[in-house]
Amino acid sequence: MTDYEAATPADPHADASRPLLEVSGVIAGYGGGDVLQGVTFSVPQGSITCIVGPNGAGKSTVLAALSGLLRPRAGSIVFGGRSLVGLSARQILGTGLVLVPQNHSLFREMTVRENVEMGAFTVRDSAVVRARLEAIEEQFPIVRERAKEKAGSLSGGQQRLVEFARSLMLDPTLVVLDEPSMGLDPKTLRQVFATVKAMNSAGRTILLVEQNARAALKLSTHGIVLESGVVRLTGTGREVLEHPEIEELYLGGAVSDRLGLRRDGLMRR
Amino acid sequence: MIQAVVDGVLTGGVYALMAAGLTLIFGVMDIINVAQGIFVVLGAYLSYVLSVHLGIDLFVGLLITMPAMFVVGVVVQWVFISRLGERERTAMSILATYAIAIMIEGILGLVFSDNYVELNAWYVTRSYHVFGFYLPYIYVFGFVLAAVLLGAIYLMLYKTRFGASVRASLQDRSAARLVGVNVDRVATITFGIGVAVTAAGGMVYGATNSFNPNTGYDLISRLLTIVILGGLGSIGGALGAAVCMLVLEDVVAVVWSPVWAPFVFFAALVVVLSVRPTGLFGRSSARAQ
Repeated sequence: MTDYEAATPADPHADASRPLLEVSGVIAGYGGGDVLQGVTFSVPQGSITCIVGPNGAGKSTVLAALSGLLRPRAGSIVFGGRSLVGLSARQILGTGLVLVPQNHSLFREMTVRENVEMGAFTVRDSAVVRARLEAIEEQFPIVRERAKEKAGSLSGGQQRLVEFARSLMLDPTLVVLDEPSMGLDPKTLRQVFATVKAMNSAGRTILLVEQNARAALKLSTHGIVLESGVVRLTGTGREVLEHPEIEELYLGGAVSDRLGLRRDGLMRR
Repeated sequence: MIQAVVDGVLTGGVYALMAAGLTLIFGVMDIINVAQGIFVVLGAYLSYVLSVHLGIDLFVGLLITMPAMFVVGVVVQWVFISRLGERERTAMSILATYAIAIMIEGILGLVFSDNYVELNAWYVTRSYHVFGFYLPYIYVFGFVLAAVLLGAIYLMLYKTRFGASVRASLQDRSAARLVGVNVDRVATITFGIGVAVTAAGGMVYGATNSFNPNTGYDLISRLLTIVILGGLGSIGGALGAAVCMLVLEDVVAVVWSPVWAPFVFFAALVVVLSVRPTGLFGRSSARAQ
């Protein structure tokens, strides 16, 4: 606990009783304003935790603070027993926390394989990179099938999967996904969510932010509702999904699941 | 006529090298380095000093002038460019590098005066005679040099870890940061490389043209034309555009009149841009920032 050397990964088994990620009292924002006004929540080891909330609630800002793109003005972020506040994006990668951003972030002019390999840019041992690439090709067949194609030529859903594959190249403990469903049609969305579930089953803890609240909460073990820069409610995915107030506020009332998903999707676009 | 085409291709190779440096800097940093022209002249003067005062061969001298220009580039990037904010970065970079160009021009004027000089060596005055063509050695040597250096840049970009980080930064800076690329360091080294190639370009230019400290203006307008025609940030485009434009200029000079050659150069720019705003070889979405 005294040594915050950046290169050693957080040990997920250090203390099983503690959550993998603990965010407390985080105040952060861009320019003059504080988007986050004391955000406190935790992400249990092995969970799929989903942050939902209206536009402008500060969901993406939370993720920027976690991944080192934005430095909090106050509060603490402890990941696997180590503080992340003040570390650079690169150092945070080294701790085993990786962010898949909201907008498409593949290198369009590089091939699919090159993109996935870039995920392990900070790993200098080429044998390790090769071994991980093979493991990821098993998990994501598209990485092998489309290996030589330019990433920019893939569809939105395919690019999303390759982004997931790339994020796994550092063998992260926590994968943070910023709106993975953005811009996807319902069928592709189901496929992407199934992949999220599969990554979780393979032992990764997942933290995701979603506009598509209903579908995401059904997938999640834990839910967090963020509103105006503060956490309004936390609970299991089901608890948040079925909370009457939440249902009314963010999920558009009691509509059948399928319709709800669709309506949500339409409203957000 | 064919002679003009051959000359155009050979000199085009050297322009391609200088333009590649410029377009690489733009691609990675969003910086338009207006000082690239004066850097070429500075490189030529460095070669001049080494050859006239120390008797070092022009090509051997590159072993000194290229690293020297690399250092100049890194210092300029560190002192001037890295301090520009993210807002209006491209526009500010034009002002900053223009200021740098004026400073270097002033210093060169003080040291060397405004008299035209040229670089000399045995291969500058002799020529090959092949199939009735007349090929000055320096054009051929310069072309080979440019091809070798461009090949080295290509290998660096596509075969090395550093090259991968340059290409990543070129395509999406924030994504590059997220996979752990130190984008600022990549930018500094890229600027250094972009400037280092002007030492080679300047040497060949100085051996084929006479130059003085004001020559940078003529050069930069041509180089900018080439990189814009090639599509900003596209190295392949810069190569193609450099060869096309130099061939066009030489052909016009022969069949029409040398007076019209520079005019055609810029007329082509206007015509191409009005038809293809992203340049001859530019893609519609070359960069998704």
